[in-house]
Amino acid sequence: MSPAETELHGRFLRLFTTNEEAVRAFVRRLVPARADADDVMQEVSLVLWRKFGSFHAGTDFRAWAFGVARFEVLAWLRDKGRDRLVLDEGVALQLAHEAEALEPALSRQRAALQRCMERVPEEQRSLLLRAYQPEARIQDVAAISGRSVAGFYQWLHRMRKTLLDCIHATLAREASP
Amino acid sequence: MNADLDLLSQRYLAGTIDAEGMTRLNAILAVDADARRRFAEQMNLDSALATQATGWRTEQTSPLPSRPAVRWRFPRTATLLAAAAACVALALWIFDSRHFATVENVAGFTELTPGSPLHGDRHEMPAGTLALVTAQGARIVIEAPAVFQFESAQRLHLIRGRLSAAVPPAAQGFTVITPSGTAVDLGTRFGVDVPATGDAEVHVFEGEVIAHAPHDRRSLRTGDAVTMTTAGHAARETRSAAFIQSDEVHDLTAGLAAGQRARSDAALAQLRSDAALIALLDFETGGGAGSFRTVQGRWPGSRAPEFVEVGDHLQLDLGGERSWPRLTLAAWVRLDRLDAPYQSLLHTDGWAASNPGQVHWMVNRFSTMRLALKGNTLAPGSPEPDSFPDSRTPVLPEVGRWVHLAVVYDSAARTTRFFLNGRFDSESREATAHPARLGPAQIGNWNRTDRKLSGRVDELLILGRAMPDAEIRALFEAGNPYR
Repeated sequence: MSPAETELHGRFLRLFTTNEEAVRAFVRRLVPARADADDVMQEVSLVLWRKFGSFHAGTDFRAWAFGVARFEVLAWLRDKGRDRLVLDEGVALQLAHEAEALEPALSRQRAALQRCMERVPEEQRSLLLRAYQPEARIQDVAAISGRSVAGFYQWLHRMRKTLLDCIHATLAREASP
Repeated sequence: MNADLDLLSQRYLAGTIDAEGMTRLNAILAVDADARRRFAEQMNLDSALATQATGWRTEQTSPLPSRPAVRWRFPRTATLLAAAAACVALALWIFDSRHFATVENVAGFTELTPGSPLHGDRHEMPAGTLALVTAQGARIVIEAPAVFQFESAQRLHLIRGRLSAAVPPAAQGFTVITPSGTAVDLGTRFGVDVPATGDAEVHVFEGEVIAHAPHDRRSLRTGDAVTMTTAGHAARETRSAAFIQSDEVHDLTAGLAAGQRARSDAALAQLRSDAALIALLDFETGGGAGSFRTVQGRWPGSRAPEFVEVGDHLQLDLGGERSWPRLTLAAWVRLDRLDAPYQSLLHTDGWAASNPGQVHWMVNRFSTMRLALKGNTLAPGSPEPDSFPDSRTPVLPEVGRWVHLAVVYDSAARTTRFFLNGRFDSESREATAHPARLGPAQIGNWNRTDRKLSGRVDELLILGRAMPDAEIRALFEAGNPYR
């Protein structure tokens, strides 16, 4: 790479790395499964790099990336919506539109998760994280937990609910003087 | 409605929703802003959990996971297939979303290059300096000799070495785990030092850090520092400038790339054959009597004494009983802090009237240089406040950077000339000027308890002749680690 390319590459890496989690979460909120989000993110990251030349330094990289991601998600929904159960395009557009204003709160919630996870007993925490491993098969994790698959989904649901309650409580406490 | 939404989004997440349910879910979300918010929060949590899980190891007792296979899918258009090699390398990096950090810059450590992703591997870095950005955006610098290993983007094991971290809000909670305790960031800039022997230190430059030792948990604020021991924390003075920050890594990398190390070696070789050489200490052969830490010098893997504790010093005996009508002293120094009134660069032992001409070289309470010779007096009307030859320009802006300090004394001309980073700074004129005397001396201290230098000294030159300005300039330029 030429020095100019290295420079550009470095700048992109820094911005992308800093915002990747937010963009990934943005995509995740609009598609049914985590694997779908991974697929769309691959496309999004490639497009972001390809179009990085048209990104104006000093402007909001995250907002720009959300715009690119919204376009890619809508294309994906149109494509997959024929044989998969997905969000309506109108709903996805509304969620994407609201994401900009909601992002500061959602970002705080993602950050608070770590603190809430520390309060989850070790055994349950490792079960939960095992279920969220990139290549995890839910049948296997259910078997480890000694539950049926349906029972394990119920348990996951309860855990997420507990965590979301903890996140809300944590953030409310931090917001009070 | 809420119960219905919960049930539907639960099925949607589990992938068990049917067409009718999906229609209902879409219908609710289309009209109800509050429902959309709740839905967004649930999906957002799912994404955050997935992020957490990527940094989690399946067996707490097993070694941290090694680099997982790259998940790669071909881009769908021919245009993308034609993308340049650099772009493919970048895409590979991006698609491998399970990396914990990315190398931004590296000086003197060939195992990693800028853009390299870091996973859960253990890295042993015998030499050099490394700048990283974590997946959450925390900017980390690690200085060798170091051993480290990421457990996740938010948890870094530092088994040995020196680290500085600048942590943005998104990476709050970033944790450094050392053998003697753990530092949890609460949105801040801080440093962790795990020395070769002894307990780990935590220094908070800005913000707040929680330091956990086995039996002690303490909140540290801006300016606080502790040593974490098994018995609890011990407060200590902060050495914020002892930690390399990422902008300095950039300059060090550029200096190496420009071939500075070879220039420096050549300049040293030339000095070693100088007929007037009294001593040239590069500290590479180690040893040296005294008490100090041996750390990295200006070059990757080079060595320098670091003076940290109150009594730290390096002892030497120079030049014997001779007198030196002309004397040049020069050193590369990295000062950590300037609050002590005097920091010794080179102090001959004692300060006795029976030993006129004995040399004390230091950074004084004005943060300028001083060269005091016993029995000398300044010319009438000299502006120096303490009646000793002092330089004019404070070294303050150079704290936390390598700086070249030099002074040339000429008893016949009755002058003391000071140089800062190769540039002539000022000249003091003497009324009485004894030839300089050396003998038993200490670097970094005086009488082992006073005038301790806080920081490192790399390369100390003592020459029995007066270097001309141009030669000092060349000495600085050849030895400058930065570009």
